[in-house]
Parts: sequence; structure tokens; C-alpha cells
Amino acid sequence: MFNIIIKLAWNNAFLRLSRTILVILMIAISMAMMLSIQGIYDGMTLNMIDKTLRSDSGEISLYHKNYRLDKNLKHNIKDASQIQTFLQTNNEIEYITKRLSVEGLSATARKSAFSNVIGINLENEIAFGQFNQFLKKGDMSFRKRGALLGSELAKTLKVNIGSKIIFSTQDHSGDINSIAVRVRGIVQTSNIALDASAVYVDLKQVQKFLGVNNQMATQIAIRTHSQTLLKELKNKYPELDVKNFLELYPMLKQMKDMMVIFTSITFLIVMLVVLIGITGVMYVSILDRIREFGIMRALGMSYQNIRYQIFLEAFLVGLTGYILGAILGFSTLYYLQNYGLNLSQYSEGMESFGMDTIIYAQMNISYFTSTFYAIITASLLSVLLPLIKIKKLNPIDVIKAET
Amino acid sequence: MFSFALKNIFFYKSRSITTFILTFFSLLLLIVYVAMMDGSHESMLKNALKVYTGAIEIYQKNYRDLGGNEYLINQVDTIEKALLTIKGIEQFTSRYETYGLLSSKENSAASMVAGINPDKEKHMSQLEVALKEGEFLKQNSGNCLYAGIGLVKKLSINVGDEVSFIGSASDNSFAADLFKLCGIFKTGSAQFDGATSFVARQYFDQLMYSQNKASYINIKPHDLSQVDEINSQILKVIADDKESLTWKTLMKPMVQAMEVDSVFGYISISLFYVVIFFVIMIFGFINVSSRIREFGTLRCIGLSRGKLRLLLFYEIFILSTLAIIIAAPIGAYISHYFSVNPIVIEGMSEMYKDYGIVSDELPFSFNLMTITWNIALIYVLNFLSIIYPTSYINNFKALEATHHV
Amino acid sequence: MIRLININKYFYRGESREVHALNDINLEIKEGEFSLLNGPSGCGKTTLLNNIGALDNPDSGEIFLDESLITTLNEDEKTQLRLNKMGFVFQAYNLVPVLNIEENIGFIMKLRGFDDSIIKERVLEVATLLEIDNKLNALPSTLSGGQQQRVAVARAVAAKPKIILADEPTANLDSKNSKILMQMMRTLNEKEGVTIVFASHDEYVIESVRRVIKLNDGAIIEP
Repeated sequence: MFNIIIKLAWNNAFLRLSRTILVILMIAISMAMMLSIQGIYDGMTLNMIDKTLRSDSGEISLYHKNYRLDKNLKHNIKDASQIQTFLQTNNEIEYITKRLSVEGLSATARKSAFSNVIGINLENEIAFGQFNQFLKKGDMSFRKRGALLGSELAKTLKVNIGSKIIFSTQDHSGDINSIAVRVRGIVQTSNIALDASAVYVDLKQVQKFLGVNNQMATQIAIRTHSQTLLKELKNKYPELDVKNFLELYPMLKQMKDMMVIFTSITFLIVMLVVLIGITGVMYVSILDRIREFGIMRALGMSYQNIRYQIFLEAFLVGLTGYILGAILGFSTLYYLQNYGLNLSQYSEGMESFGMDTIIYAQMNISYFTSTFYAIITASLLSVLLPLIKIKKLNPIDVIKAET
Repeated sequence: MFSFALKNIFFYKSRSITTFILTFFSLLLLIVYVAMMDGSHESMLKNALKVYTGAIEIYQKNYRDLGGNEYLINQVDTIEKALLTIKGIEQFTSRYETYGLLSSKENSAASMVAGINPDKEKHMSQLEVALKEGEFLKQNSGNCLYAGIGLVKKLSINVGDEVSFIGSASDNSFAADLFKLCGIFKTGSAQFDGATSFVARQYFDQLMYSQNKASYINIKPHDLSQVDEINSQILKVIADDKESLTWKTLMKPMVQAMEVDSVFGYISISLFYVVIFFVIMIFGFINVSSRIREFGTLRCIGLSRGKLRLLLFYEIFILSTLAIIIAAPIGAYISHYFSVNPIVIEGMSEMYKDYGIVSDELPFSFNLMTITWNIALIYVLNFLSIIYPTSYINNFKALEATHHV
Repeated sequence: MIRLININKYFYRGESREVHALNDINLEIKEGEFSLLNGPSGCGKTTLLNNIGALDNPDSGEIFLDESLITTLNEDEKTQLRLNKMGFVFQAYNLVPVLNIEENIGFIMKLRGFDDSIIKERVLEVATLLEIDNKLNALPSTLSGGQQQRVAVARAVAAKPKIILADEPTANLDSKNSKILMQMMRTLNEKEGVTIVFASHDEYVIESVRRVIKLNDGAIIEP
């Protein structure tokens, strides 16, 4: 019996080819688009979060209690080196780095700009967040008083590799002091605050310049996957400001949340409209064959079997649409994941707002599973109305009726 | 054909209702979404412009690229005289900008210090309006400093306190002086408020040897939309070694970023329109194919293919128009209402300050031209949706159609 | 008025199921005729009727309507021809469900661009002749089968075509309605002088016509 039902369902599903193809195309194209859009947005958001984690805060950062309100040198972590050494023994910590940062003025012969000198240990930073991947131009090197400049700052100062910059600020004793550095490389972290103001210099050099000992830093950043480490550190260092990434960058969290909300709402509305489309077609398709169903009932086929057939028809149409959509979606996402969406015509705008000019998409299994459930559910729901009509059917009335 | 179309619409209710509702919803969504997107962009630009950047600025060529004192504008008065002849200009003023180090008893901070003409600046930017404490500058304010709130915090000073300044003058000589903090401003732009301060030109020019010199000349037109025209007039009256740029060039990164945002916005919303298009087409197709026999008979008795196309076109036209007539005013009203009473998202400016968002308000943009193209787009989508069903049915021969099962 | 010269029509040409539907047909139908194409099922009467009515194309031969060759016209020209010179009555699905009877009858005249007042007058005239003048505001779905067919005939004749082609017009009617329909069509033929050609194997039609053209296996056996 089941074989016959399957055969009936299969043949009937594709009986009116044009109509069925329209529905399948609708499902496939909207699914592929949805997947692509979600992939791009997720890719964008994750990229921003990833870059921020790697270039700045890590999953957890430690500061002096007042540092974030007033980025003054006096708000420093005195024994940063000791803390770093100690924490390095903690298994839950994957990477740890310390930085000494101070605000001041960068100047060339012709231009000046507000900037931040950030003293770093280059090897540490490379291990910490693959800092070398941020290099846009030049060398990742601090040789001969070298410095690495944020890309937007380099634009503002109109400097290039080899240019000389004088950085002036107030040192630890309150005197105005200057240091001359040569641009060895230009980095783009996509963290706007950094790209627009950062001058990376060797940590030891900065410590010397500011007249501080080698213990001092303004930030300790940690990479970890531990969920409990934050609490541990807050307890261990109550005198310090210990914050996780989300607390430091609420905007990114909000962006992520909004992305989820936006894609969910989009998904729901699109599925609702798809449901309307499938319902329209299935309803008419079944109504067209109402005499046929009447005859089948008259011949002795049970309502249950007819219901199976109809559900199966709807399922087949939905499944075909899903498969085509999955293929289209996968191809598009694969392309976008590997070649990205090229927005280099908007490069100035993108970079100034901390975004890469080529956006790479994400691809998650969840995209495909959630759309599968949604499409199949919509397909099955679409036949509920006509099924009610068939249930109420009196075979004789339908057979007798004039077509 | 028109009245026939009308009758068909009322007879075939499910298709008509579905098409009507989908068209209504899609137009409303489009109008409101675009109004919101355009509104947020316009407000970002306006706020950025209002704060300090001019609608048009005149520079010595190479100043922006290379900088330095040799690319300052000399003979500012000549240019200003020429500018007086151009009708569309409401106000103009020259600014002399330099970078230096400001130091209080406690701290030092880098700052851009600009010599401005206070009387003219009042009409050009938000500097006076942004006053938080103390008072704005006057022509004869002398060594009064008008500083941003972020800068003031960094220096830990109050109104009345003294700050020392070191920088270099327009002839590259060393310049140092003592300023008195007379006023504090807050524009909301953290970058601006944290590193900018102003002194009256009358005094500053003496310190900097910048009389009749300027970093650039800032121009405010009567009508922002005429900016390109006015700029071309300016280009005619200034020397070849000068350049005149509009905000579109000066704020190119922001303009581009806005374009990207729009592109993404349209990409996201296009998904809805693809699905809605398909559903309207499907319902149209089902409706038309249910009438194949009827159309076959009509073709037999003399209805031409062209007239049939016209009939189907009228049907979709009437349905679209009905939905649009109701949706457009509602959408327009919503756009207008929120353009006058912007949505407030608390904390938005704090969160997005790095992106230059200075206000918690999200105003919508109300623009009749925009609403018109929104309507046109929906019409086009609906007309396109009937192409396939029409060609499907016209592919049947008249006789074939009458026997269609 | 209508001349068919050496008309041949095949279905499934070149395939194993090839059918020679019209076999060397030569026929002349004069103005004012009230004739019938008769024969058993599958003899080609409907096919012949469709070819005369420019609804179908013969594979060879020529068809003239009033000395104008119609077999070489394109699709749009044929549609125009049908609109201006011919009227049709089909077995079923004749009427437009959304239009009332008056609008259905006047449909062809409206397509041809007649004035509304002229249409109204003519519609009333033919509706009266066919005894459906009391149903002018009704929708087709409210009429019986017999009444619907009379409306179809009224529509066919309202625009004063040169020829009306009726394919099995009584097939879906009972004997009483078949008789009534044929009587009315005969009256129309006599009063208006319009040529009417039937394709049918209905007794009532055979009884009513003046000329019976017998067909068998696609050929005319009795002109």
C-alpha cells in the first residue's frame, strides 16, 4: 500500500510542473539568499570580535582601577611583570601579554595628530593574537627605534615606511618628553580606536622613555577559554579592574545580539511568506483533484492514507526546494567564505569604521539544519487547510458534481 | 478590458486578497525601512557637519596631502573679497589650526588649537551652542581658551585655570604662551571634545604670526543641496594654486561608510522582496492557469493575445494601486511622524561614539522623492510578477486552451 | 462564401500513431446555409470545423473566406478574422463567469469597438429572439445549461458575423433544450441570414439542418 501512496504522491507533486517549479524556485532562492546574508553578517561580526580580541582586550583584561576613566600614566599596574609571570603558570590561560600605553602628540615636519604610544613585546603579541597578520605594509620590526603605526594614523600624518615621527607626552615625573621613531610597518587591526591613534613601540623603549621600571604596564590582556577564570581573577586582584571582553566592548555584544534578533525576525517573516506561497499552491492542487479523492474514498481508500499521500506530496515539494536551496546556498557561501565579498570601492569608508574591505562569510551547519526544519514545517503546515476540506468530503456529492 | 479586469478582481478573491496584502505590507516596509536608514545616515552626516567640518572648504593645494606651514593660505583677505561676490554663500570664516601640547599643573595633553573668528563661527558651527560651562569666545577675548570637555578632564582643570601651550608658529619658530580656560564645550563627539581647543584669532594671530593666513577657509551655503553649484562658482574666483572641496570629499570615509550601510540594508531587505515577488507571481499564475479554458474560449471568439496581456496587466495594476493607495499615506505618515519626533534609543550615542554617533535620537527621513521611487519599485515588482503567467497562457493555442485539463 | 481546396490534416505526423484526420477535403459552403458536418466519432468533423474557423491549420490545401485566403494568415491576423467575421458556439465553457448575461452577449461587439448604446440595443434584440431577455443581469452560474447555450448563441450572433460555427452545441443538453436551441438557431439563420455550420452527431441537429455533409475517416462521403 505504501508503495502506491509514494508513487501517487511523487507523480502528483510534479503533475503541474510549472506550478511546482515556481514553488521550488521560491523556496530555493529565498533559502540561498537567507543563508548568504546570514553568513555574511555572521562573518562580519565574528571578524570584528576576533580582531578586537586579538588586537586589544583578549577575553580578559586587567587595568588599574581608574585607568579606563582617566588614561593617565599614574593609573598603572605597578607589578605587571610579576602578575604576568605568575599567571603564565595558570593552565587555563592560553596567552598573556602586557602593554604600556600613554596618550600624546605625534608629529612629522608637516602634520600632527593626537595618538597613543603602546609599548609591546612583539613576540608576545604575535603569539597572543597573531599580531603579524595585521601588518599591511612594511616589516613587523622595531629595529633601530622602529615603530608600527595604525593605518588611519599613518593616513592622517601622511607618513610611509621609513618616515620619522616625534612623539611627545608627559612622562612619569610630569615632564614633557619626546621620542623619535621610524615607521617600520603599518598595521590594520580593524579596531578603529587603535588604527586611528596607535604607535606601537618596543616595550622596553617605552619604559625607558617614560622613566619607569620594567615592572610597569597599563594593561594585562589574557586569552582563555575558561568560563571561571574571570571570577577567579576578580577575587585574586580586587585592587585591579578585571573585565571580560563583553564588559569592555558592550557595543560588540549589542551588535551580536542585534544580529541574532534581526536574522531571527527576517527568518520568521520569510518563512511566513513562503508558507503562504506553498499553501496557495497545495490548496489549489488538492482542490483540482477533489473528484479524484472523492473517487478514491468511494473505492475504499481510508482518510489516513489520503492524508499520508498529501503530507508526502508537500514534503517532497519542500524537500526538493530545500535540496536545491542548500546546493545554491552552499555554493554561494563557499564562494563568499573563500573569496569574500569585495567592497574595496568603499575602502576608505570601510577602513575608517574598522572593517576589512573584503568580507568573508561564515558557514555553519546550523544554517542548514534550521532552514531544513523551517521549510519542512512550512510545507507540512501548508496542507492542513485542504486536508480539513477532504475530511469533510462526501464522496458521492463530489463525483456527481458537474466539473 | 478595464472593467473586465475589475470584475475578475472581485470574483477571484483569494488571489486578490493575497496580492493586496503582500503589496501593502511590502510597500509599507520599504517606505519605513528606507526612511529609517536614510534618516540615520542624514543625521550622522548633519551632526558631523554641524560640529566643525564645513560644507565647503578652501585649501592651498597640497595642504591636505603634505601639510606644513608652506601650504598655508596667504592673502586670506583676497579670497574673502572674492567670496563676497558669490550669492549662495551665507557665511564664511578662516581658521588657523595647529597642534601643540597643553599643560596644566597636573597633566599634559596634546591638542589641536585653532584660531577662530568667534563672531563668524557663531553662525557656522555648533561651537557656541555646545557651551557647557563658562563662556564662548569674543573677538577680544585675548588669551582665553575654549576647550572640549574631554580635554579639560585630561588636564584636570576648571574654568579660570591657566594652561601653558607649546607649539610651533606659522614660520616654524617655537611658540609658547599661557592661556586661561574661559569656556568648556561638549559636542558629543568624543574625539573632538578630547583633543580640540580654540582661541580668538585676534590674539592667536599675534602668537602664531598668522595674520592674513589660514589653514583653510570654511564656507556655509544658504542651501546644503546647492553645494556643488556654489563650489563650482568658488572654483572660478580662486587662484589655481588653491582648491575648493565640498563635504562629500572632505567626509568621504563617512559618506562611503554610509553607502556601505545602505548597500547592506538593501541586500537584507531584498530577501523579503524576492519572496514576496514569488508569492505574488505564484498566486497570479495559479489564478491565470485556472482560467485557461475561459481564456481559450475568448481567444477563439476573437480576443487577441495583446488584449489578454492588457487584461492581466490591468488586473495586477488595479490590485497594486489599491494596496499602494492605502499603504503609501500610512508609510508617509509614519516617516513624517518619526522625522519630527525621532525614536530615542538610550545609550546609543555612548555605545557608538567611536563611529561618530553623537545623539541618542534616530530620526527618520521624510522625502517625497524617496517615497515615489519606493512606490515605483513595488509597481515594477508587481508588473514583473505577471510576465511569466502571461507568457505561459499566451503560449497556448486558442484551441488547445479550450481543451485544457 | 467558404471554399476548401484539397485540405489535408494529419495528427502525430511521422510517428507510429499517425492519423490522416482530413483526407483531401474539397468543399464549398454558400452564404446563408444551415448545414451540418456529420459522421461517427473520430470522422474529422470537429477538425474540419476548426480549420474552417481558422482555429487550426491544415497541413496542405487552401481555405478561402469570401475569396480571401485564410490559411496563410498569422496567429494575430486569424484572431482578428475570427473577431470580425466569425461566431463560435462550443460544447461547454462558453461564457465568462464574472460577466453578467448582457455583458457576455455584448462582449464581441465591445471588443470590436461598437458604441455602448448600439451594443445595448443589439443585445436586447438577440436576447429577445432567444428568450433570455429576462436574465440580462444574471450571472452565468445562475442559469441552466440550456439557457447558457442560448446565451452563447446570442453572443455569437450579436456582432453579425458572416458565419457561425457550432461544435456539438447540444451535447450537454437534454432533449427538450436541444430542440429549443435548434429551433432558435434556425430562426436566426432565416431572420438574420447568417450562415451556420454545425459539427454534431445529435439527432435533433440532423433533423433541423437543410444540408448534411457526411464524413467518414477524414473524407467527405456525401457533400
